[in-house]
Amino acid sequence: MKTKNILTLILAFSLLISCQSFDELQLDPNRPVQAEPSLILTAIEANAFNNISTGAALASRQLIFTNSASDNQYYGWQRAGFGDYGQLRQVLKLSQEAERTNNNSYKALALFFQSYYIIKISNSFGDVPFSDAIKGQEGNFLPSYDSQESIFLQVLDDLKTANSLLSAESGEILGDIIYNGNQDKWKRLINSFSLRVLMSMSIKEGNINVAGRFAEIINNPTLYPLMRGNHDNGALRFLDLEGNRYPFFNSNDLRTAYYMEKSFVDRLKSKNDPRLFSYADKTANGRNLADNNFNAYQGMGGAQPLAENTNQILSGDGSPIDARYHSDPENQSSLLMGYSELAFTIAEAAHRNWIGLDASQYYESAIRASMEFNEIPEAETENYLAQDAVKYSVNDGLIKILEEKHTSFFMNTGWEAFFNQRRTGIPTFSLSNQIINPGGIPKRWMYPQNEIQLNLQNMNAALQRQFGGQDDINSEMWLLKP
Amino acid sequence: MKNLYKCLFLLTIAMLSVLSNPRQLFAQDKMVAGSVIDDLGNPIPGVTVLVKNSSIGVVTDIDGKFNISVPESYDVLRFSYIGYITKEENIGNRSAFDIQLFPDVTDLESIVVTALGVEKSVKSLGYAVQEVDGNKLNKAREPNLINSLTGQVAGLQINNSTALFQDPAIRLRGAVPLIVIDGIPSTDNDFWKINADDVESINVLKGATASALYGAIGRNGALMITTKRGKKGTTVEVNSSTMFQPSYLVIPEVQTTYGNGDNGQYAYVNGSGSGTEGFGWIWGPRMDVPDPNTESGFVERPQYNSPIDPVTGERIPIPFISRGRNNIENFFQRGLISTNNINVTSGNDQGNFRLSASHVYQRGLVPNTDLNNSSFTVAGGYKLSEKLSADASLTYNRQYTENFPETPYGPENYLYNLVLWTGTDVDVRDLRDYWVSGQEGFQQKHFNNTYYNNPYFQAYEYLRGYHKDNTFGQVKLDYKANEDLTFTLRTGMNVYALERSDKEPKSYVKYGRVSRGNFYINNSAQINMNTDLIMSYTKQLGENFAINTNAGASNRFIRFRSESLNTDGLAIPNFYNVANSEQPLQGTNRMTREQINSVFGTVDLEFMNAIFLTVTGRNDWVSTLPVDNNSFFYPSVTLAGTISDFISFPKAIDFLKVRGGWSQVSDGRISSNPYSHIQAYNPGINWGGSPSLVFPAALINPDVKPETSDSFEFGLDSRFFGGKLGLDLTYFQIRDFNNLISVPVSEASGYSTRLENGAEFTRKGWELMLNANPISKTDFNWNIGLNLSTYKRVLTESFDGSDRFGNIQVGERTDQLFSNSQYQRTPEGRLIIGQNGFPIRDPYQRMMGFQNPDYLLGIQNTFNYKQFQLGFGFDGRIGGTIYSTTHEKMWWGGTHPGTVNQFRDDANNGISSYVADGVVVTGGNVSFDSFGNILEDTRTYAENERAVNYIAWNKTTLNAEYTHYFDASFIKLREVSLTYQFPNKFLRRTSLQNASISLVGRNLMLWSNVKNIDPDSGVDNLQTPSVRNVGFNINVSF
Repeated sequence: MKTKNILTLILAFSLLISCQSFDELQLDPNRPVQAEPSLILTAIEANAFNNISTGAALASRQLIFTNSASDNQYYGWQRAGFGDYGQLRQVLKLSQEAERTNNNSYKALALFFQSYYIIKISNSFGDVPFSDAIKGQEGNFLPSYDSQESIFLQVLDDLKTANSLLSAESGEILGDIIYNGNQDKWKRLINSFSLRVLMSMSIKEGNINVAGRFAEIINNPTLYPLMRGNHDNGALRFLDLEGNRYPFFNSNDLRTAYYMEKSFVDRLKSKNDPRLFSYADKTANGRNLADNNFNAYQGMGGAQPLAENTNQILSGDGSPIDARYHSDPENQSSLLMGYSELAFTIAEAAHRNWIGLDASQYYESAIRASMEFNEIPEAETENYLAQDAVKYSVNDGLIKILEEKHTSFFMNTGWEAFFNQRRTGIPTFSLSNQIINPGGIPKRWMYPQNEIQLNLQNMNAALQRQFGGQDDINSEMWLLKP
Repeated sequence: MKNLYKCLFLLTIAMLSVLSNPRQLFAQDKMVAGSVIDDLGNPIPGVTVLVKNSSIGVVTDIDGKFNISVPESYDVLRFSYIGYITKEENIGNRSAFDIQLFPDVTDLESIVVTALGVEKSVKSLGYAVQEVDGNKLNKAREPNLINSLTGQVAGLQINNSTALFQDPAIRLRGAVPLIVIDGIPSTDNDFWKINADDVESINVLKGATASALYGAIGRNGALMITTKRGKKGTTVEVNSSTMFQPSYLVIPEVQTTYGNGDNGQYAYVNGSGSGTEGFGWIWGPRMDVPDPNTESGFVERPQYNSPIDPVTGERIPIPFISRGRNNIENFFQRGLISTNNINVTSGNDQGNFRLSASHVYQRGLVPNTDLNNSSFTVAGGYKLSEKLSADASLTYNRQYTENFPETPYGPENYLYNLVLWTGTDVDVRDLRDYWVSGQEGFQQKHFNNTYYNNPYFQAYEYLRGYHKDNTFGQVKLDYKANEDLTFTLRTGMNVYALERSDKEPKSYVKYGRVSRGNFYINNSAQINMNTDLIMSYTKQLGENFAINTNAGASNRFIRFRSESLNTDGLAIPNFYNVANSEQPLQGTNRMTREQINSVFGTVDLEFMNAIFLTVTGRNDWVSTLPVDNNSFFYPSVTLAGTISDFISFPKAIDFLKVRGGWSQVSDGRISSNPYSHIQAYNPGINWGGSPSLVFPAALINPDVKPETSDSFEFGLDSRFFGGKLGLDLTYFQIRDFNNLISVPVSEASGYSTRLENGAEFTRKGWELMLNANPISKTDFNWNIGLNLSTYKRVLTESFDGSDRFGNIQVGERTDQLFSNSQYQRTPEGRLIIGQNGFPIRDPYQRMMGFQNPDYLLGIQNTFNYKQFQLGFGFDGRIGGTIYSTTHEKMWWGGTHPGTVNQFRDDANNGISSYVADGVVVTGGNVSFDSFGNILEDTRTYAENERAVNYIAWNKTTLNAEYTHYFDASFIKLREVSLTYQFPNKFLRRTSLQNASISLVGRNLMLWSNVKNIDPDSGVDNLQTPSVRNVGFNINVSF
């Protein structure tokens, strides 16, 4: 073997050695380290506006569930999670990227989504971290809890700021799958949302000037434009594309295990509400009746024993949810907030004499908007509205407004049906000895298990200041205490 | 194929040459001849045959044969060979000897392969190793080599999956070890590519101290696999095994009294919610109920396979009877593993080679599922010159199947569709024609169209293909510059290309939704190159002192890429092409590269061949950490001393060695993604053509450093009674610190975890190996080997001064199983029942047990009697807890045999009669601390008296009287093998060198405390039935 041969061999081996520079290997070809605000916005919108919840429908006595005794239906829930703080992280990134690109429109949207999520979180628990929250990148991993009062007040200010930041010149909004970059429509949604937040504080009217704040917005439509109809809805339209379909499309459970609740069906029947035909399917025994025959529809009691409900269905007297909810990939939009809700809110404010508008007029436009949203023909809507049982009257106005609002929230707008009932007690949700929670309808959720392990002191301080230290689903948060 | 012909050609030549040799004639009195074989019947070349008390001796030839001339005054022959027990035989007037030597289980001078391929004697090692002979693994075949190691090695835990083509879980001292093939690390952890026929030995380096030279990847010990090479002379060997799966070891037992339905009712309407069948429960009416008013004599009900009345269009009721009580036997087929290998080896003084071709075919339990695994290997060495020698090997391996079953719980799981969620009123044989007539390609035929799949439809239409090409091998050059100095250059590669495809037909049921038909393709490929250059210097300095040093450098590079593509609905049914997508295609791809450069050195000092000191050091530069922190050094030191060389012990003690070692190894790889240290956006949802990005929930500290393990071990190696008994005991303790941990943080901080260096875990345990040779006679030999080990991992320090890390408190074991879905119990453990007769949820998480076993145990026995060898092995794990999804779901769905009772009949009749065993709170209060521990308890109780509907009880609580956590202890009769070795007298009349036939069985018996599942797999997510394997092996060489 000659030296030359050995050298050749060594040379051949050296070809197999990689000599990449380490710096070059520090770049991840699969993920970007910087994002355009538009890319972050799309993901936030797809989450925030997608809020159809069967859990809310069970807890709000609209649906019942037959596969087991559901904790939502029989009020057996305990803890909820802090997952929405993950969305607030995206909102923070949107805000940072908006700052970087100096775009006020994105800044305004970031403020709106921040408000939306923190209200959603606080509504579930009471006091929660806000001013200290989403500061992990700054090294704060033990966020203290803010009082619910300060959160709500801050949110009302932030929403005003968001409204004032937005204008035709505030910067282009790209990646907007809700309003396609229309700043005006965003302003209308943001101000309408302010009214929702204010109405959710109705119990606090004595302590805080809720009525005055409400009137301030209503009375200045130039500064605070509001939604005008369903075309202004904060709505996410579903598409027949992977990942973009109606969330319960092809859902096995919705097809077989969710049925209509009795008190809900009975109320719609008592008022001849045509939305029943759009919400529900006929019972097995009513199969041969006409679609618009109210006798073809039956509900099961949300507080009845599971076995009784199952037996009623087995005997052919239970209405499933309408097939469109599981068989139409687009079905209907998901509303963060719709015009109908806004109109009900204004009607309630008028009924409460917070503002000088005609409650009846807004009540009726709210119902019209809900009917239209569910594709009920106009003539049927007008027939419906003409009934005495439906017509607004000052005496039972609040009940009518809130019952109609409850009806309009079916399979939409997240947990608003439940939260409105929690605030007003309308409509009545049935209870029985089947209910798991000895306190009846829970008022809140317990803080997440993770907070016990990871942020105990701050959580305990919040519990101490709100509920005397006990974490209980029946305790009343600030918002609910008169 | 060409190569196979070449093998056959060589084989023919070999046969002819043997046949043409005339038998030798032996001298009449002084000449003695014979042959020497090992315990497995293979001839042993090089055995020293000595006439006792003389200087006359010969060495056996390559066929193990010898001729020796014995002077008349001598009468004893002595046979000795390294690694085997020396044997003496009286000559008398015998002239022919067939000698069998048995391995000395307690041999000290045997050589093992250590890190970087350095060969060392066992005596000199300062750490624990354990070797498994490759020949033990190729008779009773398992589908993969790692399964065969179960119970063979102290400290090595292998959880064997019961399903086809599922990786066993492997843990050495609680962590996943590195696999090294002929000196080249194989980090793709593909256990299927190594063919057991090609394995010479597997040496298990148990801790980081042993494998520190591999650097970070060797942090958790290593399995050093040495493949076979050619020997002198030419041999052709054929090894063939067939294992049948004739019966089940464990199979879930379900009730056959009640059928499909709910609340005791059943009538099929459309299978998707219009009738009781749509719910998918097995809480239906009793089956096999006589009814004199029907033609069949049984109660009849409308069913999915009822004939349709042509007039009314209604289904005609048919008998509701338990025709499907044998659904498992009727649907599953007998599995089979068939393994065939042919290899040719040849060699001379200059070099050697080995060619080997293998095929493993496994037929699954599920019809239309199988696995093929083919390997072709060439390996050899050659002396290129006096100073330069080369060694190389190359293996091509292909694993392929058109369909193998999916195993996790859900409608993809066969047991789910076949027994768990199907009442036995449905007979699987009726489902063989799986399309609804007139809707072929669109709608499967089944009794339930929303939750379950027809098992035949699934087996023949939902096809999961897997095609993987592996190429791996190495080239090594040794250049001996002079007597003392050697240079070694070695480069090796592990390359694979994997194609996966899933064909999902229309109407296929997935969790939560029904498919519109889809085709999924995933292609990935990896290349992994390792190159080492090592310089060794060895010098004997005087009589009592020797030094041996190595210095080297190495480079390691991995490039991986993958692409996946899937349709969104199929336009034409059963046409599996991405062009057939109804809606736009979805796809992702990915590419990663990573690199490690290293330098290392070792110094071995040896005194009086009795005290051995080894010091090693290595520095790595890695691409998987920020450049500022990517260089790190780690050392090791070991000491071994043979005490028995210095102190004289009683005669019974032959040998006593103590050893100790310490090492520190760091790792700079955060996860399998080499870019894990980079904070970046992830792709988010695409909404109608608008792409999006999301910022991940894991916050990354940009200054992370490598994590480090300090390992310490101390061991004792001893031999007693003339080598009849060997005992090796090791204690190890590993301190994992500076760990790259995902610290869970309050989600209100915006993140769920942060990547940091921190926390400290301590792993410790004992390992005992016992080898004994209680009986050793001319015709009868008994060897027994026992392995026993313990292992625990404890959190010794948390992060940032906290007294807990996640769920675990400092000082506690980390393998605790927690449950968030328990019901409240009294301090005595009784269920607390609420006002509605149902138990009350516990808002606190509860610890349900420890996952890891207390002990791992393995016992191997080998008996040799004349031409027979009988081997059997038991192994098991004692302690540990397993959660059984199978049990939970059987109670929930109504198939558990325990649900056959009066309460169920009552519930079927609308009567609530079930009073759960529990108490109701009648007064007083309880307060808990934040972790659910009771602070103060003044509660008073009364027995629960409230009756509830039994079906609602099970549907709602999954039968709260059980937690479905079980003791995971088990012992298995892992293997029995009986081998007959054809005697030399017989073989001499043929052209055969060696021939044996074996009857073998694996996985034969199980003793455990849990029914319905095989705890060997370690998890139960609705596992496939466990089967016995019984078969035979034929081994012939020419």
